[in-house]
Amino acid sequence: MSYFLELLVNGALTGLMYSMVALGIVLIYKSSGVLNFSQGALVMMGGYAVWQLTEWGLPIWLAAMAALVVMFVFGLLIERVLLRTMVGQPIIMIVMLTLGLDVFLRGFGPGLLGTEPKQLDIGVGLAPLIMGDILANRTYAVGALIALALVVLALLFFRTRLGTKLRAVSDDHVSSWSVGISVERAVAISWGLAGLCAVAGGTMWGAAQGVDWSLTALLFPAVAVVILGGIDSIVGALLGGLIIGILGSVIPGYVDSMVGGSTRDVVTSLVILLTILIRPYGMFGREDIERI
Amino acid sequence: MKHTDLALSRRTVLGAAAAAGLGATLPVWAQGKDPIQFATLLDFTRVYTFLTDEYSQGQQDYIKLVNLEGGVDGHPIKLIIKDHASYPERGIAQYNEAKAAGAVFFDFLSSPVANALMPRVDEDHLPMIAFAHGRADAADGQAFPYVFPSAAIYRSQAALLLKYIDEHEGGLKGKKIAFVHIDSAFGKEPIELLERVAKTKGFELKLYPYPVPGTEQAATWSEVRKNRPDKIIIWGAGPGQAVSIRGAVTNGISPKDIHSVLWLSESDMSAFKGNEVVGVKRVTLVNTGSDNPILKRIIEKVITPGNGSGDKKRVGWSGYNIGVASMAIAVEAATLALKNGGGPLTGEKLKAGFEMIKGYTADGLMPPLTITAQDHQGGGQGLISEWDGKRWAPKSEWGSAYQDVVWDLIKEDQAKAKEKK
Repeated sequence: MSYFLELLVNGALTGLMYSMVALGIVLIYKSSGVLNFSQGALVMMGGYAVWQLTEWGLPIWLAAMAALVVMFVFGLLIERVLLRTMVGQPIIMIVMLTLGLDVFLRGFGPGLLGTEPKQLDIGVGLAPLIMGDILANRTYAVGALIALALVVLALLFFRTRLGTKLRAVSDDHVSSWSVGISVERAVAISWGLAGLCAVAGGTMWGAAQGVDWSLTALLFPAVAVVILGGIDSIVGALLGGLIIGILGSVIPGYVDSMVGGSTRDVVTSLVILLTILIRPYGMFGREDIERI
Repeated sequence: MKHTDLALSRRTVLGAAAAAGLGATLPVWAQGKDPIQFATLLDFTRVYTFLTDEYSQGQQDYIKLVNLEGGVDGHPIKLIIKDHASYPERGIAQYNEAKAAGAVFFDFLSSPVANALMPRVDEDHLPMIAFAHGRADAADGQAFPYVFPSAAIYRSQAALLLKYIDEHEGGLKGKKIAFVHIDSAFGKEPIELLERVAKTKGFELKLYPYPVPGTEQAATWSEVRKNRPDKIIIWGAGPGQAVSIRGAVTNGISPKDIHSVLWLSESDMSAFKGNEVVGVKRVTLVNTGSDNPILKRIIEKVITPGNGSGDKKRVGWSGYNIGVASMAIAVEAATLALKNGGGPLTGEKLKAGFEMIKGYTADGLMPPLTITAQDHQGGGQGLISEWDGKRWAPKSEWGSAYQDVVWDLIKEDQAKAKEKK
């Protein structure tokens, strides 16, 4: 029983770490209606930004704060340089652009700062969290708390005046323009917010595994999280993360040794497939009904 | 005149290119002999990123030293450096370009690319080195006459770890050994050897694969802890290695019981503070540090004058020194080839040079390497090092282990390959 509970707890913590990455995808979709396939690369860049600032002598938490500013501005720049040129283009072209951005950043970041894994020391030691017979990873626990804080902040943000404007932009660009909302600014802010999530994800995943190109691989579980939770749902990102994390821990924990291979990615892929087949808009996603 | 062809937009390599350009003005050219071209077509940008910068830096610095000291029999060495990102098709195209440019020696530092090109180099009679990568059966010089691993293959490394546990950590008999590995061909390669030795030595082997790229292993380590192994062998590369150590220690496993394949670098270990991972052991095929005549000369003649190919702090690191050793072996082969066969240096002569290498240690940088027409691995020697909080300290002498089992498996692999044909 304790083994099951340990898999469950560690899976939940890992899942919340995934939620942190997924939140960036949700924020952009919720604010601008664009599916952002470059969030994994943004997380990597966030990790690189924090690492570079620590290399310049800043303490880790100050570096993380400074990186929030850097990545927010980076998000604004992405909108200004890339997305603004795509205004009026079919949405699929914009999605392809985010994929292109992912490929570009995957080469650009390591090319600029060196390809070997960079280590981030957030001051959390290797000693586990001990809860009876259960041991949990302390770094993941800190990451999970940060993920929860981000979810709460995101929920509060979308109740503000600015958040409401962003939701309006997501619903309909043309109508938003007609009532005087600056669509460009809204889209830019959404990318800036994704940059903030990227710093949180990059810092915590960077602390857990080092900062290098492999952080971009977090896109896969993050996409699974948003498909399951609903691409426009913050609560969905939270619960989707928990479910993906728990399934990806508990099932391999029992099945891997039987089948002689790692099954976690298979489990994640099955979740994606079944969700799309059974409930394409996810657990908490909005089901749009259109007159045709 | 330019000494280095580059197809990389990378800061480190561009720096190296500039420094290599300086090399063009060195006295080497005064002797008026044609350059020998070596092609290092590596993966700088995709799979081997944990290693390649360091490795290539070591190669370039060593070649600069060789050129400063008069080249090989008066011939300067020109390095062709390109990035294939572990894509076989790109590696093949670059191989063809380098071959057309006159390269007589190749290094791909990528198992997919090396495996794709092994039949080609045999056809073209152009030697390639496969130091700690590529197919295990490349160790057999009869099967692959132009492929030279020139160092302990992965099965030999696993054998070294088992022998160390047997001789220095209370023996293998009756022990539970956990093999925690990345779920890829590289990660699975030692399994057959471990299983064979488990039968003869009487230990229980349990396998724990984790998914590629290896950056999330929490469930794997919970399962490992549940089964309470006596010893752990971790088998991965890049960020997954630090994740493995973190997972093990977080689950209450003593660092002293963790043993790793070659790929566990100073950079990986810098993630940990103080003494929390002191005692982790690793296979070492090339000594680390700069307390070696070759390294001292590199520092004196290349690094100090400002002609180094990358970050100074890496000089003497594991990957850097492996790069130095790989080029030292190739230069030794070229030296022997020219001494015995005269110029110009051809692929056939260079192959013969490789097979003349006898007891070569690169001034104590590596174990005595003896390559024969049969054994292109060169004996499969290595030692076990322990992380002391700052560096990898040797804990055993150079030696080899269970080579009879290693070679049985090589022959079986070849028999299977023939059956498939």
